[in-house]
Amino acid sequence: MDLLQDIVSRNAFLLTFEVRLFWLVAFIYGTGCFFLLLYIIFRSGHLGKASHAILWTGITLHTGLIILRTFEGGRAPFQTLYESLSWFAWSATITYLFVSRRWKDVYLPGFFVTLISVGACMYALLSRSPDVKPLSPPLQSYWFEWHVTLAFLSYAVFVVSFAVEMSCLILKPFLKRGMAQDFGLSLDGLDEFRGTAVRLVLFGFPLLTFCIFSGAAWANEAWGRYWSWDPKETWSLITWTVFAVYLHSMAIPSMRGLPASLFNILGFICMMMTFLGVNWLAKLLGIPSLHVYAV
Amino acid sequence: MKAFLEKIRHSFSYPKGETPSSNSSGFREFTGWAYRKLSSIRTSIYILLGMALFYLLGTVFPQGANIDDYVQAGGRFVFAVRLFNLLDVFSGIPFLFLAFLLFLNIAICTYERFFHLLVQKMPVPRDFTPTATIPLTMDAHVAQGEIWNILRERLNFRLLSKGQEWTVMERGLSYRWLTWLYHAGIVVCFMGFLITYLFAVEDVVTLYPGKPVEITPSSPGRLEGLWRDRHPKPGFSIILDEFITEYVQHPSIDYPRDRVSRLAIALGWRDVTYTINEKSFFPKDWKSRLRILKNGLTVYEKTIEVNDPLVYEGYTFYQMAFEQRLRIGVDNNPILLEVKTGDELIVPGLTTPLRFTNLITGTLYRLDGGTEGITPFVTVKRTVKDEGGGKRTEKLGILELGGSITVDGKKITLADIEEASILSYRYDPGVGILWWTGLFVFLVITIRCFGGWYMLAYRIEESDGIAYLTLSIQTRGLIADRTKMTERLVYYITSSELKPTPLPPSS
Repeated sequence: MDLLQDIVSRNAFLLTFEVRLFWLVAFIYGTGCFFLLLYIIFRSGHLGKASHAILWTGITLHTGLIILRTFEGGRAPFQTLYESLSWFAWSATITYLFVSRRWKDVYLPGFFVTLISVGACMYALLSRSPDVKPLSPPLQSYWFEWHVTLAFLSYAVFVVSFAVEMSCLILKPFLKRGMAQDFGLSLDGLDEFRGTAVRLVLFGFPLLTFCIFSGAAWANEAWGRYWSWDPKETWSLITWTVFAVYLHSMAIPSMRGLPASLFNILGFICMMMTFLGVNWLAKLLGIPSLHVYAV
Repeated sequence: MKAFLEKIRHSFSYPKGETPSSNSSGFREFTGWAYRKLSSIRTSIYILLGMALFYLLGTVFPQGANIDDYVQAGGRFVFAVRLFNLLDVFSGIPFLFLAFLLFLNIAICTYERFFHLLVQKMPVPRDFTPTATIPLTMDAHVAQGEIWNILRERLNFRLLSKGQEWTVMERGLSYRWLTWLYHAGIVVCFMGFLITYLFAVEDVVTLYPGKPVEITPSSPGRLEGLWRDRHPKPGFSIILDEFITEYVQHPSIDYPRDRVSRLAIALGWRDVTYTINEKSFFPKDWKSRLRILKNGLTVYEKTIEVNDPLVYEGYTFYQMAFEQRLRIGVDNNPILLEVKTGDELIVPGLTTPLRFTNLITGTLYRLDGGTEGITPFVTVKRTVKDEGGGKRTEKLGILELGGSITVDGKKITLADIEEASILSYRYDPGVGILWWTGLFVFLVITIRCFGGWYMLAYRIEESDGIAYLTLSIQTRGLIADRTKMTERLVYYITSSELKPTPLPPSS
């Protein structure tokens, strides 16, 4: 009994430490986001660089937090929504930091990415339970790690693609009028920069394809049906369809501009619906979902 | 082969630019128009958007629900729901029609692409926009041979065409063929969906230990349903030898729900705590030890669990759920009352029904590494009216097997328990096609998106005694990098007889 009590006390201590560390990570991301806001207001490259340094600090701590959680749970750290939100924030931020290394003095997309990451962290901390639950029977499958890891990797690149697309849409009218030159982009270079958004979707699309394919294979093994029109499945198919539309629209000259940009943004919205909105929708409309363990 | 493809294509459509002759029939004109429309990417976009809209409707309206239930639940779009069959969107004519159009669109686009690639042999472009110009020190004639060798031997380019002005070369898997391949794969996937849609049969079977059940799907597949009302019996039975439940000890967390208290944890003013109680049982596994019987003999046996089904003669049996039945004794009455967990039981002499929830039985894996057999127990609850006129659930206690609790003077005893395994089973000949084709489509999409394809056009000119290499590089795929390829080419040029370059390369 003493041993059991010791284990329970140790787990409680670790969880308390982990929750505090997560708050610290959220605070650091928030600070990075604030610096990016200051960068937008004052347009100083130093503020942009400082924000990146802050975000690298945050991501380092967050990586440690995720490793700790993995050891604590003895499984991949994305079973509950609390864990998924943390993983989502981490993957989006690290993808942004990795991709942005190729840009020179362009920091605007970082504001959108960090805003989303801070939102995800705060949602997890304020609304979800941090309990480290064992893996429930339906999730005990080799598909679990592959399906979810690649899903979140695709989500991360779609977030950064959305941020790039938004930055281009916002900056274009100003650049046309000869303004906003100090955001690190020129009107001539804007199309090439927007190409990053396309490349990111091109990167994420096969991952999302695999995510849907592996999900169907897993469902076939666990539920006896590869497709049940479950709300989460259906929304992932909507997301895939919208990004397929986006990639096809890039092949039509008249759709390559604003329509394609809008499809990319719509794809991001659908992705957020797949990840978060579908749980809310299922609850609101009373539609049963087989993915309830993700809540 | 080519003539055959030409013939098929021409029987449906008029090639672009051609107009139908005056004696063409209206039907021929229509098929020509439809063919042209369905071979367009723009049409693909519209159809895909339409499909997305149907998917959306399918997540907003509860699929498979009864219209009366929808009305009773306060559904606000009753007219539209009835008109467009919105409670069964994915089996409705509009969705199936659009899905058929999508199939036609992909099939025709795939055919057209195949026709262009194989029959018409996509012409190699003649004009190129230069992407880099590199000065050389050799005379143009010698440089021709050197550049050709570098591109062929060192950079693995292959010749596409050699014109008067530009020499065009290619490297990597052709993105056009890759694109064609995964679209063709998607067409085959549609076949898999169709086979599932027409032939799949599924049902549910509840198994009690030791009682064999003959497998008899209650309804046929959609196609079979046209001429018979039942699926033929596969000719075997299934028996449950044992149903096993396992739990892992998981302490209950004490974590505040309100945001201020959560902030207090962040600031170190309070801690998260865990306690072990009757709720500390987290499901670890459900297993069914099954045997397949044919003519009374065991022909196959397997212990299945979630994610590990039993497959026999095309039928797959899945661990879907379980059912728990309780036999309840009241006072010393020898007649036992039977109830399923979760259901309400009206006990004679009690004003409110009792509800028995969460029967926990089986093996417990403790946190300290040990295991123990669980004495089966159930939680007894009832719904009572509170002072405000509302309803609340009152927990009456934990009832162990053989034990009893007293409720309003009545002695309630848990006399016996029985567990049944609920399996879903399915016969679906479309799965194999979908599995292999889906894997193929995924692999080809991945190679297409991530792989690197280059088309390099070059020419060597001489101006003022200096030879210049003019390049035009087009790329497809994420790992293709025009700048790096140019740099590699410059590196080989400068390390060969063509070095040194008198001027830096200009882009």
